[in-house]
Amino acid sequence: MKLKHSLFTRRQFLNGLLGGWLGALLASFLYPVIKFVFPPTREPDQVILPFADFRDMNTVSVKNFLWGTKPGILKKKNDGSYLAFVGVCTHLDCNVSYLEEQRKFFCACHDGWYDENGLNIGGPPPKPLRRLLVSIEGEDLIIKREGGERAEDQ
Amino acid sequence: MKTGIQSWLDERFGLSIITKFLKEKTVPQHKHSIWYYTGSAILLFFTIQIITGFMLVFYYKPTLEGANESVARIMTEVPLGWIIRSVHSWSASFMIAFVLIHLLSTWLAKSYRKPRELTWMSGVFLLVFSLLSGFTGYLLPWDDLSLSATKVGTDIPRSIPLAGVWVTKFLRGGEDVTGDTLTRFFGFHVSIIPVFIFILLGVHIYLIQKQGMSLPLSAELKKEKVKEIPFWPNFVYREMIVWLLLLGILFSLAIFFPPSLDKAADLMAPAPEGIRPEWYFLFLFQTLKILPAKILFLPGDTLAVLLILVAGIVFFFLPLIDNKPAERKGKIITITALVLIVYAVAMTVWSLL
Repeated sequence: MKLKHSLFTRRQFLNGLLGGWLGALLASFLYPVIKFVFPPTREPDQVILPFADFRDMNTVSVKNFLWGTKPGILKKKNDGSYLAFVGVCTHLDCNVSYLEEQRKFFCACHDGWYDENGLNIGGPPPKPLRRLLVSIEGEDLIIKREGGERAEDQ
Repeated sequence: MKTGIQSWLDERFGLSIITKFLKEKTVPQHKHSIWYYTGSAILLFFTIQIITGFMLVFYYKPTLEGANESVARIMTEVPLGWIIRSVHSWSASFMIAFVLIHLLSTWLAKSYRKPRELTWMSGVFLLVFSLLSGFTGYLLPWDDLSLSATKVGTDIPRSIPLAGVWVTKFLRGGEDVTGDTLTRFFGFHVSIIPVFIFILLGVHIYLIQKQGMSLPLSAELKKEKVKEIPFWPNFVYREMIVWLLLLGILFSLAIFFPPSLDKAADLMAPAPEGIRPEWYFLFLFQTLKILPAKILFLPGDTLAVLLILVAGIVFFFLPLIDNKPAERKGKIITITALVLIVYAVAMTVWSLL
């Protein structure tokens, strides 16, 4: 069927074509720019530490390790098993410290508190400290991300 | 009388259009005239920032290894380096303070009413870039205080739905605050932000010249004739007196109270106690501190960020919202403004206790 009137004029059609082409051109310039400004994530899948360094640690204090670009905190429980956390406050990303006398984690930025199992118990933190999986294989202490989660989901 | 060089240049540039304009420009004189001086005070401090900033980049090193040490060197070894850094730091505070005063005077006098909506909007952007400039500059000395402030500040946008994670990544140059963040912030601070400020400043000042000085609402409503003085030289001379006073205060403070520098930041160390951002972010800092972890179904910080976002958008479009300034709606907006000012001051004082 032939329409009596065209839906747009020849000029509109050509302008649309030109505009669309310019838009596509711009997008093709913008794409590499956007790719460039976001560097790849560097969070490790796992960290392997020599078990010898942690075998004799007591249950009062904690030890730090490097979890990619974040501080990791390792804690020995009374039953001899290990707990590992990402030592970063779930409120606004400050590094937390462990207060031995109170057996609590503390974030100085906005007065956030966690108990010794990393559970948020006071102040603004909305979530517990992020847990990591700890396993011991021979002389290695292996720390892994929990269940394939990504850092962005945190 | 024009000299030969002047007329030679004028023939090519056509500068006489500008000089003629400035000769004819007038400034109204009334009981609220004092607020007209805040604009040029901002320009004064901005100029000082540019000059001292140029000087500081001669010695500053924007790297994880070199930053703190290079600032320490500026403070201890470079001849008069400590004064230059001190002036840069104090002048930044003064600039922000005058930006806030300038904004409050415009807000309360409702100078943003038609046809000055775009002047206000460009001003809101200038405010944002001024704050960003302060925020990015705060990280550059790379000590414990500046690191924690940056971690918090760059994590705040994360709560914005959809785009937030990407904003945080963009600002940090990755998932976390690292040496990359420092280098990136240096880039923002010394090139990207200043370029935007220059462009916006051009638009802002052009609009003011195009539309002339705004009159207070009361004077405009009475339609009375307001006394005027010539911009050049009468008003400029008065401004220069103000500049001289401000320079005196600035240099005195800079010499007697130079900014501190702590040991280099350790990315893995816990946040030190007593961290706080620059004074103009304290109200926000205190708000984040007192908000509980959950409000209804939202995390406290998400709610805060959403509120700030909405407030920012309302603020930007204020001239269009407050379109009947003399009527009841306008009065409600004025009261809201006063309440917000009281809130910000109260929160700031609280955070200092």
